[in-house]
Amino acid sequence: MKSLTWKVYRKAGSAKAAIPRRLVVSVSLALLVAQAVHGQEAFPSRTITLVAPFPPGGVADLTARPVAAAMEKILKNPVVVVNKTGAAGAVGMAYVATAKADGYTLLLSLSSISIIPEADKLFDRKPAYTMDQLVPLALISADPTILVVHAERPWKSVKELVEDAKKRPGQISFSSSGIYGTLHMATEMLSHAAGVKFKHVPYGGAGPALTAILGGHVDMLASGPAVVLPHIKSGKLRPLAGWGAKRVDAVPSLPTFKELGYEIEFYIWAGVFAPNGTPEPVMKKLRDTLRQGVQDSDFKSAMTKLQTPIAYLDAPEFKKFWDKDAKMLADAIKRVGKIEEKK
Amino acid sequence: MVEMFQNLYLGFSVALRPDVLLYAFAGCIIGTLVGVLPGVGPLAGISLLLPATFGLDATTAVVMLAGIYYGAMYGGSTTSILMRIPGEAASVMTCIDGYAMTRKGRAGPALAIAAVGSYLAGTVSVVALMFLAPPLAAFALRFGPPEYSALLVLGLLVLAYMSGGSMIKGLAMAALGLLLGMIGIDPMTGYSRFHYGLVELGDGIGIVPVAVGLFGVSEILLTAGQPTPPKVIKPKIRELLPSREEWRDSAWPIGRGTILGFVIGIIPGSAHIISSFVSYAIERRLSKHPERFGQGAVAGVAGPESANNSATSGAFVPMLALGVPSGPIPAVMLAAMMVHGISPGPLLISQQPDLFWGFIASMYVGNLVLLILNLPLVGIFVNLLRVPYPLLYPSILVFCILGVYAVNSSVIDVWIMAITGLMGYVLRKLEFETAPIVLGLVLAPMLEMSLRQSLAMSSGDYAIFVNRPITATMLSIALVLLVLSLKPLFTGKVDWRGSLSQQAQPGEE
Repeated sequence: MKSLTWKVYRKAGSAKAAIPRRLVVSVSLALLVAQAVHGQEAFPSRTITLVAPFPPGGVADLTARPVAAAMEKILKNPVVVVNKTGAAGAVGMAYVATAKADGYTLLLSLSSISIIPEADKLFDRKPAYTMDQLVPLALISADPTILVVHAERPWKSVKELVEDAKKRPGQISFSSSGIYGTLHMATEMLSHAAGVKFKHVPYGGAGPALTAILGGHVDMLASGPAVVLPHIKSGKLRPLAGWGAKRVDAVPSLPTFKELGYEIEFYIWAGVFAPNGTPEPVMKKLRDTLRQGVQDSDFKSAMTKLQTPIAYLDAPEFKKFWDKDAKMLADAIKRVGKIEEKK
Repeated sequence: MVEMFQNLYLGFSVALRPDVLLYAFAGCIIGTLVGVLPGVGPLAGISLLLPATFGLDATTAVVMLAGIYYGAMYGGSTTSILMRIPGEAASVMTCIDGYAMTRKGRAGPALAIAAVGSYLAGTVSVVALMFLAPPLAAFALRFGPPEYSALLVLGLLVLAYMSGGSMIKGLAMAALGLLLGMIGIDPMTGYSRFHYGLVELGDGIGIVPVAVGLFGVSEILLTAGQPTPPKVIKPKIRELLPSREEWRDSAWPIGRGTILGFVIGIIPGSAHIISSFVSYAIERRLSKHPERFGQGAVAGVAGPESANNSATSGAFVPMLALGVPSGPIPAVMLAAMMVHGISPGPLLISQQPDLFWGFIASMYVGNLVLLILNLPLVGIFVNLLRVPYPLLYPSILVFCILGVYAVNSSVIDVWIMAITGLMGYVLRKLEFETAPIVLGLVLAPMLEMSLRQSLAMSSGDYAIFVNRPITATMLSIALVLLVLSLKPLFTGKVDWRGSLSQQAQPGEE
């Protein structure tokens, strides 16, 4: 096939004058199409790269590893995780958004995928990528955040917290993984729904944000349940409520905000995306692979160990979920707005 | 006490299990390699190898990753001493006197002192970790943004002792470093600063590419600019070991470096990087011969190298005692535990005694392994200097590019290295010292973040720096140091810097 193409081109090159250009073009086009069809039949025929836009050890990375392992088993083709980090994930997301849409470069991203383009819009920056450059393949997991307060603080319930916050607006502080980060957004939704104002102290990542509340430097934190559970058990932190539609399995006594009358829902989710324009047969193959992959027993046990609930959704449902989530985050970002310089 | 020995017995029974021993050994070797490769520091090393530990059990995984961490601290000194290339940010200070020793034909002793100092620091700090972890961890958590700011202000004062030449030149370089540290997304408001449309600059300029550029690449360029190639230094066997005098000069710096590194290491965050800078400054200040610093003072190798090694053990204190991700590297190690279904938390020591005590014991074993591994390697590494420069330097450059690229797969980082390399060349031609730039770049983002976090906590009230005991104490110390350094201005006495230039003048003419 390859040698044939080469021969045709060489012939076309040497006898340019003799052969009408249209013929050359159509011959090469036909060959290209043939090659594309050939490529589709063979998908996957080489290593698939699953890009995790966050550093190793983070939620995205730890979810990407078992996903890649499960895909590898089903496709019988190597799937490697590559950490392309930087600028709160924007570097890796932009990398996949602009990658060749052939199904060999995929993205495992968290909810922040919807935040970055909105934040770019807010600051009139040239966007690193736009969301329509990526198409969803499958939602893998969704972990509701829970609200914890330092154990030495007085509030025993959301009601007490909100009442106190109304009395002293802007006094009760919370840490977050960073400004406009997921944990900031979760708290912003609460403060909007409750009509109160909290004091934001951003940190450089979820780890430092947790360290800060354990040291008592801030009063409260919205966090994924798995990392705060040991500290709840040891009595350092007190949970007040969860952002999920259902209660968290590990803390069944913990009410959800919905039960308490706040219409808010927030998850730190992880999903797999492909560049927009990936051929339909390849998309189908990848979706099928992921559908089988989440059923895989090794995958299930890996996710259990990470204490991250699997929440599989196939592309169409995931798309709906993503649109709704992105809209919610966009609204929250607009509400926070730009932090203007004080005069 | 009896309990402690029982625990240690348990620990060693885990650490000396053949499989654990094997992975500890593998970790140490990989760590040494990671440290030797310019640009690839312990964080990059651990991150790259984290997936490889998923198949192991939790204890072996953590033991191996810790081995990579402190192994990298051993290895990082090698290229700094031999080629003036900092393997990672913590070994920047080792470059100065370590490389000066190499130029004088004392590469062997410098490497040996670095290895022994690292071993002693590593072992002593594990003892401290074992006995003091729970109370120290509680103390470490009291370090919030205001305390952190005060610590970093102390770090800034260190700058005054970093360079031997003109104070103004030194401060100018530090200011340049602080300015470079302003590049990137503003952590408090999300505004982008000086990124010129490059998404990669969003996180700011990496320390490692800058350090490799300013130190390594500039050295290569300077050498290439000489009219005659420098003589190849042929090491002699009897010159591999430190002299009695060198041992004596290193003893106290190693001791001080160990304590200093451990104390700075336990503080959550990335402050451990400054431990080697602070150690260097302290040694210079306390030394009877500050003029020897920069010219191959063995204390300038012994102190920082011990400090950066004991800082690694210090960093494990909050991680093991409380399950707190106290820095980027402990965060990766906690992730390694979570992958194995262990929830790191305050109950880790009581719920996972095998893991905790096995880990402690493996650090004793690992440090010994590294010493045994590194001392014979001194002879081999020193022989690298026999390679003629036309072959040696191009290959070093290739390794610099590979190492810097490998960390983030970022071409931008390679460009940063190249540009700062050129910058370092020009600056050194004009007799500016480049170490303050690196310290400025290290301090700027941390100081900015903690200062603004503190003010966010207090809603803009600066009293937060006075009301908190630790902060107030540290700031008073900083004030005293500042006043002391101004004293010669009023008393008319010559301080060490002045006497330095007086002594230097006749030599230069």
